[in-house]
Amino acid sequence: MLSLLGGVFLGWSLGANDASNVFGSAVASRMLKFWTAAVLASVFVLLGALLQGQAGIETLKGLTQFTLEQAVVSSVAAATTVTIMTILGLPVSTSQAVVGAILGIGILNQQLNLAGLGKVVACWFGTPVGAAVIAVIIYKVLAAFYNNLKINLFQSDILIRLLMIAAGSYGAYALGANNVANVTAVFVGAGHLSVFSAALIGGLSIGLGILTLSKRVMETVGKKLVRLDPFSALVVLLAQSITVHIYTFIGVPVSTSQAVIGAVLGVGIVKGISTVSGRTLANILIAWLLTPAIAGFFATALDFVIHLQYVPHP
Amino acid sequence: MLKIFFKKQLQIESLIYDYLDNLKMTEQHFSEALNSCLKKGVCGDFDFLTKQTHKFESKADDIREEIKALMYGKALIPESRGDIMGLLESIDEIPRILELILNMIKTQKLVIPDFIVSDIKELIEVSLDSCDLLFKQTSALFKKSEELRSLVSKIDYNESHCDHIERRIITTIFDSDIDPFQKLQLKEMIIHMGEISDQADRVSKRINIISMKRHV
Repeated sequence: MLSLLGGVFLGWSLGANDASNVFGSAVASRMLKFWTAAVLASVFVLLGALLQGQAGIETLKGLTQFTLEQAVVSSVAAATTVTIMTILGLPVSTSQAVVGAILGIGILNQQLNLAGLGKVVACWFGTPVGAAVIAVIIYKVLAAFYNNLKINLFQSDILIRLLMIAAGSYGAYALGANNVANVTAVFVGAGHLSVFSAALIGGLSIGLGILTLSKRVMETVGKKLVRLDPFSALVVLLAQSITVHIYTFIGVPVSTSQAVIGAVLGVGIVKGISTVSGRTLANILIAWLLTPAIAGFFATALDFVIHLQYVPHP
Repeated sequence: MLKIFFKKQLQIESLIYDYLDNLKMTEQHFSEALNSCLKKGVCGDFDFLTKQTHKFESKADDIREEIKALMYGKALIPESRGDIMGLLESIDEIPRILELILNMIKTQKLVIPDFIVSDIKELIEVSLDSCDLLFKQTSALFKKSEELRSLVSKIDYNESHCDHIERRIITTIFDSDIDPFQKLQLKEMIIHMGEISDQADRVSKRINIISMKRHV
């Protein structure tokens, strides 16, 4: 059980950080109380993990073969990378950190599923681009409906609020379904857990992170999102959730933070305004390259360190 | 069904209509108070009507505070909160100006000369018409009525008309032989009267922006 602690820690930090992408704007704008959002997010994350988390777990465990020791090493390496990148203020992706760590282990084992890796990397690039395209489509379609509704300011307010709650719950479901693989797939690969147990433990640890530590992150990240008008914030949330959910069907864990940035960019395209700065885009590119590289380095270094043996002089 | 979950929003909506009703009463008592001076020249009921104007203005303030408290009680999304509070604060300038005019007449013991009475009546009539149109426009905003845009241009037209009357009255005052000190007093009062339609026009444009912002 102790060997799972690295995974649980990773799930806990993922929940604490990524819940802000689904309920951040609603909580920061006081549309929804934190505890209502946290409970909804935890329940839907667990549901997503249990009902649709299997595909991602299969993809990640298939990237290489692990021993239990290597599974623990890759979890700890990924968690450390996420922590360092967060301190550096870069838009870190847990998915990239986990894949980087698996890659490091794969190199050590001299056994890597390159086809699977290619699919994963292609999806990383596809996440912000896909989210931007989906945001453009959703904005146009929803705007056509919304502008023709015969509702007053108060009814519009109620409608946006209800849709935010529904989209947030859907986003949490997609987050659980997509990202649970990051947390416990390596333990399935090591033969330590069944797919169902991995989804359950992963979902619970993400939920724990949401309930215990996501409040501050929701408020800070959410405040950046609520600078958008409420309708645009809803479109961003929906586009991000749909994108992440699509990658769940493909079976590749992706970054919700990068999906959000793509969706915000898409809204900017429709409105003809600049919503994402060049600096943010540069940071994504740096994070794309640095995250898997650092995680891979940590995984190989950790594996090397734990295999050091004291050989006394004869 | 939704009414159960969104009690606060419905409460705010009903309070806004109460607020507008109170402003109409303030406007009505202002008009009666001023006309009592203009008609009789002796301002018989003036004090009573001024007190009534103040009473309704204060009640409107109380309702505004109640709406504010509900807003901070997390009803409505932040953008709507800001829009409604900003709107009510700018509408609230109108009763403040109405009260200021009555207090000027009362405290400075202003005597309105006969040669400007008809022009003042016209200025007040057009200004209060702007206020009525504004209250109608505010209701149209909350009912998403198509009428909203046409009201903006009517209020804008009234504002230009009032500017014209205001200039005409001030010119007449300074062309007359009355005491120079009285001229300045009257000019100040006329400028305040002109502010009624100016403020109505500002609020009207603000309502138009609030409505346009909700067209995505």
